[in-house]
Parts: sequence; C-alpha cells; structure tokens
Amino acid sequence: MNNKNEIKFLKKGRSYYAILLSCFVVFVIAIYMLISGFNSLITKHDEKLSQEICTLLSEKMGTSLLFMTDSAHNVATVLSEQNFNFPDEIYKKLESYNSGEIVGLGFIDETGKIYHSEADAKDFEKKNLAEVAKQANPVSISEPYRSSRLGQPVITLFTEFNYAGSHKGYICLTYMFRTLQDIATTQSLNNDIEIWLMNAKSANIIQCVGRDIHASGSWANAYLKMGNINPEDKDKFNNWYDKMHDGDSNASVSYKIGETKYSQVYSKIDSMPGWFVVVRIPSNALSETMGVFRNNVIIFIIIFLMIVAVIISVMYVSWKREKRILEQLSINDALTGVLNRRAFEISIENMIFQSKGGVVIFFDLDFFKQINDGYGHDAGDKLLVTFSTLLRDSFENNGIVSRFGGDEFVVLTDESSKDKVNEIMERLRKEVNEITIDSENADTKDANISFSAGLAVYPKDAKDVSELLKCADQALYEIKEAGRNGYRWYEG
Amino acid sequence: MRKLLHLFGICIMLLLLSSCSNSVKNDTNTLDKPVPDFVPLTDVVEGRKDIYLITKELDSNYWDIVEEGAKEAGEEIGCNIYHSGTYSEMQWKKQEELLDRCVELGADAILISPDDSVKLASKIEEIYEKGIPIILIDTAANTDSFNVCYMTDNLEAGNKAAEEMLFQLKAKGISEDEDIKVAVLIGNSKSQTINERLAGFYQYWTDNAPEKWTILSEIKESNGDVELGGQYVEEILNNNPDIKGLFATNNSPTISVSQKILDRNDTDITVVGFDYSDNINSLIESDDYQASTIIQRQFYMSYNGVKAAVDIINGASVNVKFEDTGVITVNSDNYKDPDVRAIIEGRK
Repeated sequence: MNNKNEIKFLKKGRSYYAILLSCFVVFVIAIYMLISGFNSLITKHDEKLSQEICTLLSEKMGTSLLFMTDSAHNVATVLSEQNFNFPDEIYKKLESYNSGEIVGLGFIDETGKIYHSEADAKDFEKKNLAEVAKQANPVSISEPYRSSRLGQPVITLFTEFNYAGSHKGYICLTYMFRTLQDIATTQSLNNDIEIWLMNAKSANIIQCVGRDIHASGSWANAYLKMGNINPEDKDKFNNWYDKMHDGDSNASVSYKIGETKYSQVYSKIDSMPGWFVVVRIPSNALSETMGVFRNNVIIFIIIFLMIVAVIISVMYVSWKREKRILEQLSINDALTGVLNRRAFEISIENMIFQSKGGVVIFFDLDFFKQINDGYGHDAGDKLLVTFSTLLRDSFENNGIVSRFGGDEFVVLTDESSKDKVNEIMERLRKEVNEITIDSENADTKDANISFSAGLAVYPKDAKDVSELLKCADQALYEIKEAGRNGYRWYEG
Repeated sequence: MRKLLHLFGICIMLLLLSSCSNSVKNDTNTLDKPVPDFVPLTDVVEGRKDIYLITKELDSNYWDIVEEGAKEAGEEIGCNIYHSGTYSEMQWKKQEELLDRCVELGADAILISPDDSVKLASKIEEIYEKGIPIILIDTAANTDSFNVCYMTDNLEAGNKAAEEMLFQLKAKGISEDEDIKVAVLIGNSKSQTINERLAGFYQYWTDNAPEKWTILSEIKESNGDVELGGQYVEEILNNNPDIKGLFATNNSPTISVSQKILDRNDTDITVVGFDYSDNINSLIESDDYQASTIIQRQFYMSYNGVKAAVDIINGASVNVKFEDTGVITVNSDNYKDPDVRAIIEGRK
C-alpha cells in the first residue's frame, strides 16, 4: 500500500499526457489534411492557370510573327511606290536598307532568279525557298534552317512585290531564329517555359525557348522529345497531336512525365503552313511558388501551436501544483499531516470494501485536556504531532491514519491477524508511554503520556463503516472505563 | 513518458517540415575518366602556328580520319597540330577542361567538335571572346561565337537517309498499299547532330513516303551501348512483325542494328545507318541483305578547318560561317567504286 495520506490514489483522473498525445495526433491529422487540401487546390489551380499562360504565350508568339509579317509587307508597300523596272534596282535598294533585326535582305524575281549574297542564294537553292516564296499570301515564312553565311538558325519571310508594271516578285527578309526567342522570353517562369515551333506532318520541333538559352534553334522530334510521357496519358497526347495534324487552330493537353505534370498548348501559324507554336509549362512551376506560401503557413501554424502547447503545459503544471496544495489542505490535518476526518471517511469507504478485511482503531490520548491546561497548548500540539508520527510509523505501511478532532485519532489497517495487531498496539503503547513532557513550570510535574484505544474488526463486528466506528468507539469507551492506558477489542 | 512524447513530437515536426521541402537530388557524374593531354600530330617546329584539335571519341575509326585530315593540312601548310579528345560524348565537361588547357598552352586557334552543342556554348563563347579563333567541326554549337563550322548538314543527311530507305524499300518491291513500318534506333537524344538527323529523316519521310508506310512512334535510344541497342532491335522486331526497315542515326546504333540483323539472319529487313563499320560493311557486301549507310566526309572537316584557322590567324575574313561538307550514300551498288572507297578509307 502506498502513502495513504494523499487522496490521489482514490480516484484516478485521465492523464494529461494522454490528452496531450490525443491532441497531437488530431493536430497531425489536421495538418496532413490541410496540406493535402492545399496541394490539391494548388494542383487544380495550376493546371488551369498554366493552360491559360500557355495560351497567352502562344498568342503572344502568334501576334509577334504577325507583326514580323506586317513589317515585311510594309517594306514591300514602301518599295512598290518607287516604280522599279529591274530586279537589280530593287536588290540595290534593299542592300541599303538597314534594320537591326533583319540579318539578310534579298529578292526573287518573276523567273525565280535569286538576288542575294552568294551564301544566301546557295541556301535558297538548297532549301528550295523559291517555292516557299510562291506561297506568300501576302507573306509566307520558311522553315527554320541554318544559314551558311551566319552559321546560325534563321527564318526567312517572303512578301509579294510587283515591279515593272505587272511583274510579280518576292522580297526576302531573313531573321535570326533567336529573334523568336527574344519575343517569347518572359521575366517570370523563364526557366520553366518551353516554346517550340512544331510541324504537324513530321512532328519535328525546333526550340524557341527552353531552360538553356543556347538551346534555341535546336531541332528534335516530338515522338522522341515527348516519348517518355506516362503510358496512361499517351492517348491524350495523341489526340492533341491528331487535332494539330487535322489542322485545328489550337488545342491544349495535360500529361505527366514521371511525377511532373505538364500543360501544353498549340496554336496555328497562319503564315507558315503546317507549322504551329507549341508552349509547355510544368504545372509545378506555379506550385513551387505557391508551395513556398503553403510551407510558410504550415510553419506558422506549427510554431503557433507549439507556443500554445507550451503555454498550456506551463499553466497545467502551475494549476496542478496549486491543486495539490489545495488537496493537501482539504484532506490533511493541518497540524499533524495525517488525513482529516472527511478524507478518512472517503478513504475508508473505498478501501474497506476493496479489502477482504480490516481493523478500525479509535485512539484517544489520556488526559489530554489536563496536558493542554497544565503545559500549554504548544506542548499539547507537540504531543499530538509526536503521537501522530508514532501512529504513522506503526500503521502507514498497511493502513491509513487520521485525526478525527482534538486528541481523537482513527486508524484503519488491513492487517487481518489479531495477534499481529496486538503486537503493534503493545509496541505503540510502550513507545507512547515513553513520551515525556517536560514542565517549564516548577509547580507542575513532568507528565507521563498514554492512550486508550478501541478496536473493531471488519466485517466480523460490522459491515457498515459508521457501525464499525461505533463498535470501535464502544470498545474505547470500555477501556476508558477500565482505567485507560490500554486497548480493547470490541466484543459485542 | 514525457521524453517519449517529446521525441515523438520532434519526429512528427521533422516529418512535417521535410514534407514541405523539396528533395534534393544528387547529380553524380559517372564519366570522370581522365582524358589525355594534347599530343602533336605533326612535327613541332618553333615559330609555326599552334593549332589544337579537340575531338569527341578517342579510339574511333571515324575520328581517326578527322585526325588524319588535320594532320595532312598541318603538314601541307606548315603549322603545329596538337590533338586530344574525350572517350564519350557524355564527357562534355572534360572538353571544357581541354579548352582551358588550350588557352593555357597558348593556342593560336582551336578546332573542336563539341560533345554537347548546348552545354559547351558558354565555354566556347568565353574562349572566342579571348580572341582565339574557334573552328567547329562535325557538330555545331548553339552560339555564334565561332569563326566557321565545317560539318555535315545533318538535317540534309537525315533527308538522304529517308530517301535511301524509301528507294531501297521500293526496290525490294514492297507495294505502296502494304501497311509497313520502319523503326528508328538513336544514339544519344541529347546530341543535336542526332536530333537533326532524326528530324531530317521524319521531314523527308512524311513528305515523300506512301501513306501506309509509317515510322514506329516508339524511338529507342541506345546511348552508345551496342549491346543495349541490339536488345532494342530484338524487341522491336519481335513486337512488330510489320517492320520492314531499320534506321540508325549514328555509328553505334548502326553497329547494333547491323549485328542483330546478321545474328538473326533477317534478310527481310532493310537497314539504313550512318558511318562505316565492319558490321554494316558485311551487310552491304552480302547479296542476301539490303543495307546502306550515309558516310560523312569528316576528313574535309578537319582538313578545311585547319586551313581556315591559318587563314583567320593571318587576318583573312570569313564570308561563310557554316559549310556543309556533304555526305554520300554507300550501298551495294557503289561500295566498290574507287571514289567511294577513298572516302570510306579517309583518303578524300
């Protein structure tokens, strides 16, 4: 049996730590759900937004190409007012024309003769660009090719031009392919956006914008470049490509490569038959930005909850300490520290019915009033403390000790052996008899101390606590009548 | 109990925080094989111009011919030619080191065949800005910071490969109404050369092939591994009985394709590859097989490159920055032709 001078054992409460753990588990689940919900929201939002960004960029590319073709058309319009009669004159005029972005100017006459630098003319013949020129309505654009003169990928725009009355020729304006890169480059998301020109028939692609600025003008084939699309998304991609192949103006698709989800959009280039602008963005490009915000929110919540947990813990410890003090005050006798009467009555109810048997002992210090009167209240109090200490030493291992009031103490012991109890009582009697109170007053003699005690056995003498106490009180009465300084068992 | 709870709490917290951060992936380079220092290909005579040649693959017949071209030009003109290179196209970082080494050694001009057209562009720009003439051979770099580039127009070469495949399939008597497929095996998808050949092949094929003759959409990448390439060919042929042609974009997959066709004795399949090897030679020379290969004129890439380098050092201006050295198609009809033999053997 533990220390019975505390009432805690009587009624076990739910552990604070168990509650804290439960709260923590709930918190973890809540955070998990928050993250999942947030991620799902971001993913949906990103898919929609990346498709819109793709569409905007492809429109931007389309508009820029249109602007280039308009520029080419304007050059032709300006020149047409000068009434040239011979292609040589036109070419000479073009040679004097200087534009920052145009890296080559030439002319193709009605017969198909090319007026250009030797290297460019050779390229035109090799790539059969005169045929592309014939498609001008009013402007056409060549496929990207590597210029011999410049060593770099270029595109050439052709625009119709009438000379010498009704002769139809074509003005040729060559741009570096990377001009398209400059058009398409954006400040934000620049490392994630990829833009290609794609040929619907061959699925060949040529990069305008990618992670590496040096990759502009690189050729590839979509079957290879997008060949590692996850199997479950391949049909979606094929449908998207079929739409391009069928000549639809634009279409979008989302697919995954490994764990990365991409949004991809194409739009038709009117002046470049068979070619389309394709824009691709990994959806997580946006998620990563939102992810930083999400992480900050989560970290804030965690720190906030940690602070709350610390505050609650500090408050709990403080409250627990105060509660303990109050409990002690409410269950213990202030002078002796043993249980008070009320606490004893609660304890005995619980304890006695849980045990197989026990003995209730009613103690009364003999002539205590005289000691108080004769030796002072301090001496009386000291005696009560000494007596209660002896009681605790004798019974605390197998019982509870209480002060009922004044000099009355009640002990409940679960020691079932009468002989054993007698042995304890005898030893206690001797120890108490050895207590002396020294008189400070010369008129008063030193006092010898003794006690009287009545014992009742549960369940033999009574099965009810109050009855049992009455039995012990009856036995006490009898020993007092018999001359005190001893103890007596209740005998009915 | 309290300690356990604290520990549990810390674990959960770490778990939550780690879930918010991105995992860091390690990019380990397994191709750190050291490359040799420059060795002279010509006699080294003091006072002559020092021209450095950096090639892609040491110990390769193709690149031996490139060395020969540089050596012959060096001897003709009278300049010192030094050579080094990498063992694989994946070793582009080693080429960066070699470029720095050229500067350190006081190169008057550098001829380089970039392992990676994109990744080496910055380093090439850096060297070019130091005023050292840069001549690209075999492969372009994605920059205009070079003086001149001698290489095959790979888009055109891809066109020629597709043209040859169509010619051979038609010569075999396959009907235009028959549903057939050709499959493609490539070396390294990061190589611009390979991508351009592939694009050229698709370009010509989609413009000229009968509607029912299509290209298998699954393009296999052997990454320079001949054995792996062979396994892919085996898979392709086993899974697609309608395959009638195999196209390989460069030397290594061409060896894989040729070897597998020989092993399977698959005389029904037409092979079109690139470059010359014993395996493709065996197919071309045999009457049982139908095979062709596109041969580049790599001798002239370095030969012309050295000559251009000396001209540039001497102050000549360059009017053409990209010169297509051209290709020839070798097949059973012309492999015995002395001119063709000369190109194959690097004598022209």
